[in-house]
Amino acid sequence: MAQLGFHWPSLVIYLVNFLILLGILYVMGYKPILRMLDQRSEKIKESLEEADRVRRESAKAQEEMQQRLEEAHQEGQRLLEEARQAAERYREEERKRARQEAAAFLERARGEIRKERDSAIEEVRGQFADLAILAAERVIERSLDKAAHREIIDKVLEESSKLERN
Amino acid sequence: MRSQVRGRRLLLLAGIAVIALFLAGLVTGAIGNAFFGGEGEAGGLLPKPEVRLPAEPVFQSAESEGGHEGGGSSSLPAGKFLLTNTILSSWIATLVIVLLFVLATRRLSLVPRGIQNFMEAVVVALLGFVEGMAGKERARRFFPVIATIFLFVVVNAWLGLLPIYPSLGFLKEGHIERHLLRPAGTDLNMPLALALVSFIFVEYWGFRTLKGHYVGKFVRLGNLIPRPGRGWNPLQGLIDLFVGGLEALSELVRIVSFTFRLFGNMTAGEILLLVATFLVPFVFVIPFYGLEILVGFVQALIFAGLTLAFVTMAVMPHEEEGHGSH
Repeated sequence: MAQLGFHWPSLVIYLVNFLILLGILYVMGYKPILRMLDQRSEKIKESLEEADRVRRESAKAQEEMQQRLEEAHQEGQRLLEEARQAAERYREEERKRARQEAAAFLERARGEIRKERDSAIEEVRGQFADLAILAAERVIERSLDKAAHREIIDKVLEESSKLERN
Repeated sequence: MRSQVRGRRLLLLAGIAVIALFLAGLVTGAIGNAFFGGEGEAGGLLPKPEVRLPAEPVFQSAESEGGHEGGGSSSLPAGKFLLTNTILSSWIATLVIVLLFVLATRRLSLVPRGIQNFMEAVVVALLGFVEGMAGKERARRFFPVIATIFLFVVVNAWLGLLPIYPSLGFLKEGHIERHLLRPAGTDLNMPLALALVSFIFVEYWGFRTLKGHYVGKFVRLGNLIPRPGRGWNPLQGLIDLFVGGLEALSELVRIVSFTFRLFGNMTAGEILLLVATFLVPFVFVIPFYGLEILVGFVQALIFAGLTLAFVTMAVMPHEEEGHGSH
């Protein structure tokens, strides 16, 4: 063994040296580096998950927005339709009312005219009676010859028609 | 185009220079010396390399120096503390490893930069290696020892390739008598220390994980003791006892194989480089340096990998007396 170089103190020195190296590397090398590696992989995993979450959320938000937009669109369409219907209804009502009013006005005008006519006729009739009486008075005053008679009546009628025309 | 032409010309010049150096090495080295009528048996530019297996002392007390001269340089004075050149270079290797880690972990950041990146890559590669064999949950426990063995072996081997290793030393009569530095792997004690660490590591984890079952692998008494319902088979019992002994022996033999595998490879590499340089001083040795870089890495991987394989086997629960029951 000595020929090969075996030497107790050297062996012990190597053993101690190796153990010291192991200790130093464990405390100063492996532990911090492995911890760092773990931290890094943890961090990467976290950020990947975070990115995934954000992407999913944004997709959801977009979908929601799309849906809300759709809803708003439908709502607007509905409101427009309603307004159109209301306008139509209003117009219809207005038209009906105008027609009714016109009818009422016509009716009233007709009544008025009738009344006017009636009163006119009444008046004419009254005047006619007066004329008749007048004519009768004339007739009585004069002689009642046939030709004169006719002349008087014609005159009266002419007068009355003149009156009526007024 | 112009720079391409210039680059090609530069390459050509460099090639010619390398070939010229190689030829000069052929002529001035031991081979050329032998061809062209060299004087004496040890000729050439360099002195004939002396291969000595034991490590040489660098610093020693006066009395041991005296004893050293008298007893010859083949063996170290036993029992006296002294600093050998291999221990010194192993300290340098230790320092280099520690320095690398200190520089890497001084300002750890989540986004790695520079040397932190490099050392993290090393740690990740080693951790992946351990995880691949031992599984994810055990890897963290085995990792420190395995990684340290690997780093210690590989850094020692690679540092030993530096040109200052064979060129620094104590002169005596014109040539280097004792080197100041020598690759630690060429000192039997270093592989032996690592082998002991590996052995203790394996047995510790085996015993800690399997408790009594682990001892039962080596001491197989199951068939020697008669039990009701099983029958008594003394022959099987004796065979089991023998097998247990073999198992124990194989564990112990690992120390020897670990030691001499690393020691042999490192020493052979050192001798190969010395002899190649002695034969042809220039250029010729470069491929061997490449080879030795590979060998250093492979040996470190083998030492760490075998330790890992043994410890993984040791913590694997084995079916005890499985053959008797079915």
